[in-house]
Amino acid sequence: KQAPIPIPVPVIRLPRGPDGTSRGFCAARGRDRAGSVAEVAEQQARAALRERYLRSILAMVGRPVHFTLHERVQVDAHFGATDLDVANFHVSQLQTPLGVQGEALLRCADIISYSFQL
Amino acid sequence: MAMRQTPLTCSGHTRPVVDLAFSGITPYGYFLISACKDGKPMLRQGDTGDWIGTFLGHKGAVWGATLNKDATKAATAAADFTAKVWDAVSGDELMTLAHKHIVKSVDFTQDSNYLLTGGQDKLLRIYDLNKSEAEPKEISGHTSGIKKALWCRDDTQILSADDKTVRLWDRATMTEVKSLNFSMSVSSMEYIPEGEILVITYGRSIAFHSAASLEPIKSFEAPAPINSASLHPEKEFLVAGGEDFKLYKYDYNSGEELESYKGHFGPIHCVRFSADGELYASGSEDGTLRLWQTVVGKTYGLWKCVLPEDLGSENSDSIYSSTPEVKA
Repeated sequence: KQAPIPIPVPVIRLPRGPDGTSRGFCAARGRDRAGSVAEVAEQQARAALRERYLRSILAMVGRPVHFTLHERVQVDAHFGATDLDVANFHVSQLQTPLGVQGEALLRCADIISYSFQL
Repeated sequence: MAMRQTPLTCSGHTRPVVDLAFSGITPYGYFLISACKDGKPMLRQGDTGDWIGTFLGHKGAVWGATLNKDATKAATAAADFTAKVWDAVSGDELMTLAHKHIVKSVDFTQDSNYLLTGGQDKLLRIYDLNKSEAEPKEISGHTSGIKKALWCRDDTQILSADDKTVRLWDRATMTEVKSLNFSMSVSSMEYIPEGEILVITYGRSIAFHSAASLEPIKSFEAPAPINSASLHPEKEFLVAGGEDFKLYKYDYNSGEELESYKGHFGPIHCVRFSADGELYASGSEDGTLRLWQTVVGKTYGLWKCVLPEDLGSENSDSIYSSTPEVKA
């Protein structure tokens, strides 16, 4: 009988890293750990925008999507999925100038814009 | 249900992390400072690892960093021949203390009024932080560069380590009380006030000595050369890390190796328990700090214990990390 496979301890989220723009110490440390009213409002707005974006990706699944890439390249494909960081899109039936690619990975950094019909 | 340790990786440094220190427990929680060869020491929230700020000003690798007990001040020791004192709330630089060589170690007294420094010029220096213009008191005697200097015995004595010796000094008379010689290079030293214990690592050994008499208490051998070790506040466990990139956890009483954890991508340079003993932090050549739970599976900080009946819950607000190394 196989021993139970240990599962990794779940985490709420990962530690926040530097914001890359400032040296920090911005939030009045200790006095208001949750942040000032303005910070909370901004965070709520960010969360709302992110949720809308993620829902838009969900709506794309299985649909034909038109991609505008660098060098004036335009391609069509059926959208499959994105990865955790939205760095790559998995697509199928990618119509390329060289023919149809059954399965492909599009790097999001190469995409200028994309559109699809709801 | 068997649970596996999920280390929390704190990124942000771009070069090896060579020293780290926790503050005491303050009304706002506790904090962690990390010293890095990129010259930019960082302050983080101790229980989550969240970045709070970066102390900007040093012009060389930062070799040592410390916080005072209530985390209102920070001190750093750097390769630019200075030690600096910082306001840990605003991040502002308060004092720059010029030295004649690379500074390796800094330590505040309990009342935060004095700073002890030690470095490559082989001198221990005591600065009165309320008299920024005054010259520091100097204690000479070391014959090689000082790697670590710590206040002990309620700030009445000083412990200092150079390459092959650990020395105990009396602050009032500024003279050496006792010394220990080692055949191998001393890699780290930690002082535990409660119980007056000194933790010294050299080669593959993790040794415990009385801080008062320097007499040996016990020692353990690790499978690989150890760079740093820390004793749990309740003295039940110790953790150690070194050249094989792994973290080891031992039972302090029996010496039994309890756990070993892979995760870092380079040698571990420093490891410390938090003041409440609930987690320990490791700093590595790979440029990251990692936080590890003392009791794996306990709900604390960002770790959230999930009971079997919660696994199918739609309302669960915790995520499973697919593997501990998904996000560096």
